[in-house]
Amino acid sequence: MTTSEPHRSAAGDSLPPNGVGGASALKAIRLKHPWRNTFAVVLVVIFALFVIDAAQRPAYDWPSVGKYLFDSRVSAAALVTLELTVLAMFFAIILGVSLAIMRLSPNPVVKGVAWFYLWIFRGTPVYVQLVFWGLIAIIYKTIDIGLPFSEPWVTFSTNDLIGAFWLAVIGLALNEAAYMAEIVRAGLLSVDKGQEEAATALGMGWFQTMRRVILPQAMRVIIPPTGNEVISMLKTTSLVTAVPLSTELYSRTRDISAETFNPIPLLIVASIWYLAFTSVLMVGQYFLERYFARGVGDRRPDRGTTATGTLPVIGGNQPTVITGAAPVQGADAGDQPIDPGHGGTRS
Amino acid sequence: MSDTLSGGNTSAAPATPAAPMVVAEAVSKSFGSNEVLKSISLEVKHGEVLCLVGPSGSGKSTFLRCINHLEVLSSGRLSVDGQLVGFRESGDKLYELHPKEAAKQRRDIGMVFQRFNLFPHMTAIENIMEAPIRVKGQKKAVVEKRARELLDRVGLADRADYYPAHLSGGQQQRVAIARALAMDPKLMLFDEPTSALDPELVGEVLDVMKELAKSGMTMIVVTHEMGFAREVADTLVFMDGGVVVEAGDPREVLANPQHQRTKAFLSKVL
Repeated sequence: MTTSEPHRSAAGDSLPPNGVGGASALKAIRLKHPWRNTFAVVLVVIFALFVIDAAQRPAYDWPSVGKYLFDSRVSAAALVTLELTVLAMFFAIILGVSLAIMRLSPNPVVKGVAWFYLWIFRGTPVYVQLVFWGLIAIIYKTIDIGLPFSEPWVTFSTNDLIGAFWLAVIGLALNEAAYMAEIVRAGLLSVDKGQEEAATALGMGWFQTMRRVILPQAMRVIIPPTGNEVISMLKTTSLVTAVPLSTELYSRTRDISAETFNPIPLLIVASIWYLAFTSVLMVGQYFLERYFARGVGDRRPDRGTTATGTLPVIGGNQPTVITGAAPVQGADAGDQPIDPGHGGTRS
Repeated sequence: MSDTLSGGNTSAAPATPAAPMVVAEAVSKSFGSNEVLKSISLEVKHGEVLCLVGPSGSGKSTFLRCINHLEVLSSGRLSVDGQLVGFRESGDKLYELHPKEAAKQRRDIGMVFQRFNLFPHMTAIENIMEAPIRVKGQKKAVVEKRARELLDRVGLADRADYYPAHLSGGQQQRVAIARALAMDPKLMLFDEPTSALDPELVGEVLDVMKELAKSGMTMIVVTHEMGFAREVADTLVFMDGGVVVEAGDPREVLANPQHQRTKAFLSKVL
């Protein structure tokens, strides 16, 4: 790259105009990186050795893994894990959006309440919170509905009203909401203030502006970390044994291994299920991200070639591309106007 | 809508057709102790094009934003088409309206921003259709037909399905103008509509604005384009330090400014 630069300027200054033909005949050789290949080979060898060894090692007990992988007790527990994840995230996102909006409120009391919530729920371990939720029936024996300082209209026994499953959902959701609030807040702040002004100037109300203009744009910032949180939540469900709830994946496989005295294959079984779920979630996240990245192409508008624009841009900027071995950027510049949706995922 | 604007005039119609579209009486605005507008009074007649010029920080953009209540004035009275903007008068005080009522007033006032502010997640035509559908509740088919007409009017009929990121600055600003026009406004506000554009893109936006002025739209334009002001404006207002220094026929003001400050400013920009 660098060697071609002085050559060209020299040709322009003083050398006889053998110019274009001579320059194109000079072949540019890229810098070679022999260590990259060596390192890659070493990694592959180490990985292969590990796999061959693991396949033969008796302690992994692969036959048992196969036996329990689709055991009906295990798959039922996997379903519970999935339910816990979905429900907890659902409530966490609703509460998180509310808290984020509260934190952006001009009212200092509203702001303060949201801040206090975050302080408590982010500042204590989720395991400790889950133990607390398990003991809720001891702290609040009954749940009363009515006006303060008067006889309640209805009274429920806490134990009868909320089972371990829902306590686990509440515990997970309230903890997660604190993290979701920060993610949503960052997303809302990432949207340019002019967007809100433009919507307001068009006569849109606050709620409409939020739903149609601000949130769809904030989603681009909100979704990647939220995907992380969903995956993290899936794994955090293994802590609900603190409530105690023992019908989810990890507790169930541990209970089975307590009967068989063989914990390792069941740990592998649980891991395979967790991995399967996270893999599916990652695929879903990819498509969500692609949807919300619409309109955010990587082609800057001021780089466009047609200014006043009566002709379509398609193919219009190809002459600038160097002939022959066109670099990656050249190929991109050609197809971007045709396919605006593909942008955003490129780094 | 190009021939007449009286159709959208539902509320408390002014008695005489000569009644001005915009009346500002002693409008003041402070940010904390910083007084950016000091008792601005001016009138804009129906179909008039008024250009606001002046150095940056002179308060012209703030005044423009007060007209559709994006900025809340501190004192004074500002009305559009005989209706007080953003406030209700009772006794000797003004009471700010509920955001819903202010939003209703803004439907009739189109605004074009320096940085376009198109919605990036919507295509050009979706940008134009959004407010008529969501705010006015008009039928999608009707709105779409109208949106295509407007895109054609600003010379972008072939860009309906482009996202803003794939349009040049000038094209984005023309879509933004079409988006404002889709609400059938009585009044259009332009806040430095060409200041963020590359020089070669300025002309296409000004052409659209000239055409709009010719069609009889009432326009208030904050601008640094003196050529546009000279050619299109009926009135030129020069502001500095939050006050109107000089106002009048643009050709006269530009050729023969009366005030020292106007002279100093014009000598720098012309």
